[in-house]
Amino acid sequence: MALVKREAIIEHGAAKDDPNKRDTRFPVVSIILGSLSLIGMMVSIWMIFLYAPMDAIQGNPQRIFYFHVPLAWLGMLGFVIVAIAGIGYLVKKDERWDWAARASAELGAFFITLALITGSIWGRTIWGTWWTWDARLTTTLILWFIYIGYLMLRSYMGRTSASARAGAVLAIIGVIDVPIIYESVNWWRALHPTAEVGVQGALPPSVVLTLMVSLTTFTLLYSFLMIQLYQLQRAQTLAQQLRASIE
Amino acid sequence: MHQEAREARKYMQGFGYLVAAYAIVWIALFAFLAVLMLRISGVRTELTAVEQLVREQQEKQNI
Repeated sequence: MALVKREAIIEHGAAKDDPNKRDTRFPVVSIILGSLSLIGMMVSIWMIFLYAPMDAIQGNPQRIFYFHVPLAWLGMLGFVIVAIAGIGYLVKKDERWDWAARASAELGAFFITLALITGSIWGRTIWGTWWTWDARLTTTLILWFIYIGYLMLRSYMGRTSASARAGAVLAIIGVIDVPIIYESVNWWRALHPTAEVGVQGALPPSVVLTLMVSLTTFTLLYSFLMIQLYQLQRAQTLAQQLRASIE
Repeated sequence: MHQEAREARKYMQGFGYLVAAYAIVWIALFAFLAVLMLRISGVRTELTAVEQLVREQQEKQNI
């Protein structure tokens, strides 16, 4: 009986709501987001290869831009979410904020890695080198190291409140790099192209439209994956707490 | 003729890099999704097993 009570307390503490809702609350949202991401991906691919015009100077490799920009944008957004969730955890002491932070860190690290790889391939074709210590590239690489540091710290410290606090502090300090990445092309003379979206006449409307569709699609995919990772974090915490209760 | 050949060459220039970039992104996305699904199913299996253990311990205590 005591164990049942303890389990109920753990589940209440972990989820702060009915655990039976765990498997029924998200599927509809997940299905909608997953389907929209899939449709968006197909539309994006069609637009990237058949609708958007080929760049007169860069040729075909310019099309990498339609995936590279959304990946980089979500890589940066991911860390902003980690920091916001970290602040949320420090203020509210609610584990759900920590699950969101962990989920966003995993996803953001994945997206920023792909942004660095696609950017490197584009750089090879346009600049003739895989890597250069340009301000935008260097600050993005720093963000990648911050992500890896965050994930290593969380993995090393386990699922404890000390780990959540340390992660939150690291995220709040690390997020300073995000506006630096964004402004790096304006602050320093750099090889990386400056922002062209929103600048009158910088890009043809078909290019801007293709980029926006791709950006929306990747944001939907990010949301879909974020829900899955959040659920995973929640289930892992519950499993760990239940295991601890019977040991 | 030369003009056509030049245009075709220009079109194909860097095409391999473009294909490589998109292939890497797609393969990575599918691999990420597959690993995520495996992790979710693994933790669900673990949860079921631990819940079963909790129930068994509770039954033992009741006896």
